[in-house]
Amino acid sequence: MSKSTDEQVNRRDFMKTAIIAIGGVIGGAIGLPAIPYLIGPAQKQDSEDWVRLGAVSKVELNVPTLFKTTIETQTGWINAEEEFSVYVLTENGQDYSVMSNICTHLGCRVRWIPDQESFFCPCHNAVFAKDGTVVAGPPPRPLDQFEYKVEDGFIFVKRG
Amino acid sequence: MAANLMNWLDERLGWRSVWEAIFLRKVPHVNWFYTLGSATLFLAVTQGITGILLTLYYVPDPAHAYDSVVYITTQLPMGWFIRGLHHWGASAMVILTVAHLLRVFFLGAYKYPREITWITGVFLLLIVIGFGFTGYLLPWDQKAYWATTVGTRIIGVAPGIGEWLLRVARGGSELSAVTLARFFGTHVWILPASLLTLLGVHLYLVIRIGISAVPEKDE
Repeated sequence: MSKSTDEQVNRRDFMKTAIIAIGGVIGGAIGLPAIPYLIGPAQKQDSEDWVRLGAVSKVELNVPTLFKTTIETQTGWINAEEEFSVYVLTENGQDYSVMSNICTHLGCRVRWIPDQESFFCPCHNAVFAKDGTVVAGPPPRPLDQFEYKVEDGFIFVKRG
Repeated sequence: MAANLMNWLDERLGWRSVWEAIFLRKVPHVNWFYTLGSATLFLAVTQGITGILLTLYYVPDPAHAYDSVVYITTQLPMGWFIRGLHHWGASAMVILTVAHLLRVFFLGAYKYPREITWITGVFLLLIVIGFGFTGYLLPWDQKAYWATTVGTRIIGVAPGIGEWLLRVARGGSELSAVTLARFFGTHVWILPASLLTLLGVHLYLVIRIGISAVPEKDE
């Protein structure tokens, strides 16, 4: 070998740096796009939309009235129909409160029991009052309320 | 500090001798054609990574396969890029593997004592082609469906057992949900497992025997 040691070290260092640099570029080219690719679905905001429940005249005074409707949902590559139920309560026929039927404890569905004038959750015996406040059991907060509007005699709630 | 840590690790893992055996081994003076094997290896790694990423969303079921691929390509951020890398990387894999084989063939590098490296290499090429064939069906679009109809039909012309082989490949007489599921399973489990096994032997031999020099004129 006629080359000086200096030159050989430089050549080796150059190759080392080049390999690390190219490796970094390749790693970055796959690694960086992988992050939005992985967390993408979590970032996607559920779309808000107004769901038509039905004729507002169906709401009885002072009794939570159940409205059931189906809504189209898209999760990933699957389009499906999902059942959506809420209780609507009015005390004066003017102002409404639209309550979710999902128990705030662990997400079971609550049911209005007319005889006992309260909502009952079958999972852990939670009891909610007519206005959704917690009467007994483990739920940490009252039943969730939806934003609503009344148009042309129909009641709509905002979902999302 | 860093040197101490490296020494501490080396005492316990013996990694330096492994590193020296793999990366500091002596190689003859060769040309750029000798990098085709490494290029294939790197591409295999990226195919593995992008393939794993694709399985997070892909569903091997006729009802949803195409929709999930469309979802990856159009809805997911960078999904088109990950799928694109896997798609084009697949073609590049076949080209590079064949180019690597031709280099080894024309420079006579398959000869003693490297016969087993060559034989494992030929099987690795078959595995790469298998990856291409099974992967082509997975998007479950018209092109995939008819290409696989034709491709499996070719298996069917084998004399005697052809018809039976065709049924095994398709998992029945027609292309169906069973075909898609078994092509997917082959693509993500059977072929990768075979590839890793043979690649282990292949690379062990490359490191153990070393690579051949460019033949001289009078050889």
